[in-house]
Amino acid sequence: MKSARYKLLLLLPAVAVFVLFLVFPILIVLNESFHTFEPGRIGSVEGGPLTLANYAELFQPVYGQYFAQTYVLAICSSAVSIVFAFPIAYCIARAEFAWMQKASISAIVGLMFLSSLVRVYALELTFGSTGVLAPLMSIMDINTNSRLYINFVILAGLLQYCIPMSILILIGAIKNLNPRLTEAALSLGAPALAAHLTVTIPLSIRGIVSAFLVSMTLGVSAFVIPLILGRGRILFISNLIYSRFSEIANYPSGAAISIVMMVLALLLILVMSRLATSLERA
Amino acid sequence: MNVLELKDVTKKYGSFTAVENVSLELEPGKVLSLLGPSGCGKTTTLRIIAGFAVPDGGTVQIAGEDVGQLKPYERNVGLLFQDYALFPHMTVAQNVAYGMRYRGAPAAAIPSRIKQMLSLVQLGGMEARYPNQLSGGQQQRVALARALATDPKVVLLDEPLSALDAKLRLELRIELKEILRSVGATTIVVTHDQEEALSLGDEVVIMHAGGIVQRGAPTQIYQSPANKFVAEFVGRSNWFQVIRSGQSVAGFTSYITSDGVEIRAKSPPSGYNGGSDLCVRPEHIELIDSAAPEALRGAEHNSMTGVVLDVASLGPDVHVVVELPGKARVLAIRKNAGRIQGLAPGQCVRAVFSAADVLVF
Repeated sequence: MKSARYKLLLLLPAVAVFVLFLVFPILIVLNESFHTFEPGRIGSVEGGPLTLANYAELFQPVYGQYFAQTYVLAICSSAVSIVFAFPIAYCIARAEFAWMQKASISAIVGLMFLSSLVRVYALELTFGSTGVLAPLMSIMDINTNSRLYINFVILAGLLQYCIPMSILILIGAIKNLNPRLTEAALSLGAPALAAHLTVTIPLSIRGIVSAFLVSMTLGVSAFVIPLILGRGRILFISNLIYSRFSEIANYPSGAAISIVMMVLALLLILVMSRLATSLERA
Repeated sequence: MNVLELKDVTKKYGSFTAVENVSLELEPGKVLSLLGPSGCGKTTTLRIIAGFAVPDGGTVQIAGEDVGQLKPYERNVGLLFQDYALFPHMTVAQNVAYGMRYRGAPAAAIPSRIKQMLSLVQLGGMEARYPNQLSGGQQQRVALARALATDPKVVLLDEPLSALDAKLRLELRIELKEILRSVGATTIVVTHDQEEALSLGDEVVIMHAGGIVQRGAPTQIYQSPANKFVAEFVGRSNWFQVIRSGQSVAGFTSYITSDGVEIRAKSPPSGYNGGSDLCVRPEHIELIDSAAPEALRGAEHNSMTGVVLDVASLGPDVHVVVELPGKARVLAIRKNAGRIQGLAPGQCVRAVFSAADVLVF
C-alpha cells in the first residue's frame, strides 16, 4: 500500500506542470471569454460584468462561414489522406523485405521534418497566381484567383502533413493484423478489393479513426497553411483567433472562439470513437 | 482424371531455392500428406497451389485447367490455415457464408448451406457466436466449415492440428478424417508432424530441401524408407555406422560397425558400395534374458548382450535403452503388457533382432 502511494508521488511533477501550464491558462482563457470588450482597449474591461455576448456573437452567419471553411477542408484533407495513405501503408507494412520497410518509414519521417514554411512557399511558388504553373492553369481556363482553386491549394498544403502522418499511424494498425486474414478472404473467392473492403479495412478501423482524428487536429489547427496559401481570401479559425488577439486585441472574443473550438474537438473525438466501436462489430 | 497436377514446379526466393522440380498428382477424393522439416518447401508448395506464390517454372493444373496465372480468388481452392484465420469481426455464420457469396451461391441457398456445414462439423446452434467466444477446437471446426462451404476442388490443410493440445489433437484428427471422407474432399495436408501426416494421408510425400524424396502409403514410408533422411525423419531408429562389410551368407551380410559390433543385414544389391549406415527400428529389437539359450542365433538373426541403462514407461510403450558392447546404445520399445517383467537399469539382457529388419543405406 505504502509503495503504491509513493508511486503516485512520481506523478506529481507531471501533474504540476500540466496544471500550471495547461489547465490554469485554459481557465484564464475560459474566464476571459465571459468578459465584455470595449473597442480600443487591450483585453477585457477590468471588473466589468460577465456576459455571454462573446458566444452569442458566434451564431452570426459570418462566423459560421469560418467554422464551415475550416472543418470542411479539414474533413476533406483527413478523408483524402486516409484514402491515399491506406494503400501505401499496406504496402509498407506487408513489404517483403525488412529493409524496404525501414527505408520507407525513414523517408516518411524525414518528409515530416521539412519546415512547414518551406513547403507552403514551395506550393505557392508552384501553384500560386504568379506560380510556375500559372500559365498552364490559364491555358486550361482555371482561374487561380477563384475561391475554389485556393481551396484546392490549401487542401494540397494540408495533405502534405496529413498523408505522411496517416501512413505512419496506419502502418502500425496494419502490422497488428494477421496477414492470413486477407489471404483467407482471397482463398474464399473475394477479389483483392473486396477482401480489403470486407476484412482488412474493417479490422483496421481503430487505426483509421486515429489517423483521421490526428489529421483533423492538424487540419483544424492549421495556421501557416491558410495564412499564406489562402492569400487573405480564405481564413481558418486559427487565423481568426490570431487576428482577434493580436490585431484588434479583442481578447474575450478570441477566447470564446478558442473555447468553442476546444469543445468541438472533444465532441469530434467522442463521436469518432463511438463510430469506431460500432463499426468494429458491424 | 487427376484433380491436381503439379509438373516440375520450381520457386526461388533470391538465391534460395524453396521448391525445385516438384511434380505431384492427386486423384479425386484422395488425401495426400506433404511431410517434411521446416524449410523443406512444403509450405511454399501449398502457397503455389493456393495461388499466393507464383512458381518460377513448371505448371499447376486444377481439374485439368492450367491455373498458373490465376489469382487465389480465381481458383476454387479451400484453405485451412494453421491459426485458422477466422474473421474476428464476423459471426460463425458470417464466416462460413463469406466464400459462398463470391463463389456464386444463390442467396436463397446460403442459410441452409450454413446450417448443413455447421452440422457437418458438429457446431449447430453456434451461428451467432463470434470467433473469440469459441474454444480452439471449435474455431478449427468453423475454419474447416468455411473452407468446405464453397465446395472447393482441392482442400489444403496447413498444419491443421498443430495449434491444439495433444488430447484434442487426437480427437480432431479422427473427426477431420471422417469429415474429409464424407464430403469426398481431395485434400493436401501440409505438416511437419509425422503422426498427423501418416494418420490423415492415404499417401504421404516426404519433402526435403525443396524436392520430393519419397511418395508412398504410410506403412510403406515407414517400413521401406527410400533413404537415410526418410528413415531418420519418420519414426525412431537406432543407427550404426558401418566401417567394413564382411562375409555374405544366403543373402545376408555381416557388417562391422564403428562401435565394433557385428550386425547381420540384407546384402546390398551388387555394384552398390555406398551402404555405410544401418538402421534398426526400436520395436524390432526384442529383449530376452541374457542367460537364455541362443536359440535365435543364425545367419538371419542378430543377438548381442548388453546392459540396461534406462527404462521409461510411457503408458502403452516401455522405452528401454540398452548399452551394447563397444558403448553403442540402442533404444528398444516393448509393449506394456500390464505386467512389467522387472527390467531395471544395470540388468544384463540379450538384444535380438532379425537381419531382415535391418535397413541398409
